[in-house]
Amino acid sequence: MRTVLLALYAALGVLGAAGAASGHHAFAAEFDANKPIKLRGTVTKMEWINPHTWIHIEVKRPNGAVERWAIEGGPPNALFRRGFTRDSLPTGIEIVVEGFQAKDGSRKGNGRDLTFADGRRLFLGSSGTGAPRDGRDATEQRR
Amino acid sequence: MSYRYVIPAVGLIGALAAGCSTPQSSPTEGTSGASTWTPPRTAWGDPDLQGVWRYEGTVPFERPKEFAGRELLTDEEVAQRDQVEKDQAANRLAGFEGAAVGRRSISESPIRGNEYNSFWQDHGRPRRVYKQTSLIVDPPDGRVPYTDDARKAEARSAARYGVGPYESFLDPDTGERCLTDGVTGMMWQGPNGGHNQIVQSPGYVTILHEEYRDRRIIPTDGRPHSSARQWFGDAVGRWEGDTLVVDTTNFLDRTNYEWASIWTRPSETLHLVERFTRVDADTIEYKITVEDPATFSAPWTAVIPILRLADDTQIYEYACHEGNYAMPNLLSAGRADAARRQTSSR
Repeated sequence: MRTVLLALYAALGVLGAAGAASGHHAFAAEFDANKPIKLRGTVTKMEWINPHTWIHIEVKRPNGAVERWAIEGGPPNALFRRGFTRDSLPTGIEIVVEGFQAKDGSRKGNGRDLTFADGRRLFLGSSGTGAPRDGRDATEQRR
Repeated sequence: MSYRYVIPAVGLIGALAAGCSTPQSSPTEGTSGASTWTPPRTAWGDPDLQGVWRYEGTVPFERPKEFAGRELLTDEEVAQRDQVEKDQAANRLAGFEGAAVGRRSISESPIRGNEYNSFWQDHGRPRRVYKQTSLIVDPPDGRVPYTDDARKAEARSAARYGVGPYESFLDPDTGERCLTDGVTGMMWQGPNGGHNQIVQSPGYVTILHEEYRDRRIIPTDGRPHSSARQWFGDAVGRWEGDTLVVDTTNFLDRTNYEWASIWTRPSETLHLVERFTRVDADTIEYKITVEDPATFSAPWTAVIPILRLADDTQIYEYACHEGNYAMPNLLSAGRADAARRQTSSR
């Protein structure tokens, strides 16, 4: 029964996610689903701009080089209604971004999943947002 | 209680509904007028529709094939779906957001609707489950009665999604260009959930839609249609009892809402009739009848329950051009794709 319920959640959830994320631009027009990225970096700026927020981070590579990346997030109005403020992601804080790189190969990406460096989620300190089923989320156990 | 038969149906809803969703008690129940509830009036005597409203339901726009021949869910099905929605809301509050928003891996799912996790989204209240199996109530099969040509255009539009060509800033659709997604679906669609503020004054109803900062100033003073063609057409309103009827013609055929289904795309022959009826304190039954021989073989009607948000709900700025980095990004992505194609064809 539990797995059946989870499947029902998942099925309904797809609808919810699609509903919430619909609008504006096509992911595939801008980002490459074959270029997943995982970056640990320091926030230098968060742009509260429509139609999407952008978070700028500096990523220090093992060779000491510093790369600047721009990461696209969700719409600012939705974030704000959710309780996110400009104090939620202060400059200088270290975050981990998982997403997909821009098709043109530049240092831009979408930020599908964001965590603080210590693994805490940006909201509620939850166990996971469950980026592609990664097992981090209690509700996301595989059948 | 078995969920077995529910799952495939719901999965199909998920697949078909990308972009719309809805919740509880049939909105059509409110059309009888037999309700004992008396709608409020403005100081000057018009029905009072003022407030901030949005659609929070899970009803698919078109009826999924699984529900062919069925206009309504059973009470048990409604209760099951309602419980899932409530559990999802509780999961979100508890921070268990993965399954709650149906995250699937990129390889398992089309990327659309799966590119951002729930962290980025405004969950609002638990979505409402309604008995309707589709927002479209006429024709009786709950499907858009496209002409054959329109169906081909729909296929072309779908094929272009995320693929292009993106040769010029004119290639992305009008939403991607920060202009508008059009008026037909405005009251219940939008990336931020479709917030609409209705403000009235004697002789006018004004609707401000958050996305794209779309606004409509609708006269209700009995004037005839003007002859000017506009993207949003020429809207004139009138009161029929407790219902606001908005009749819009003279659309301009300059838009390409490629993202959305082409039912949102006006041609010069589009005739849109909208009926706003407050059926209880927190619900407007919003009913649209869409007639356009250029796209549809017959008129069609949808009924959408739109819910009132808290009095202190604010509509925020959209200022889409402010940071539409998507435009340069998708044009440069288009160039990168073209270069790759050229290389691989050598």
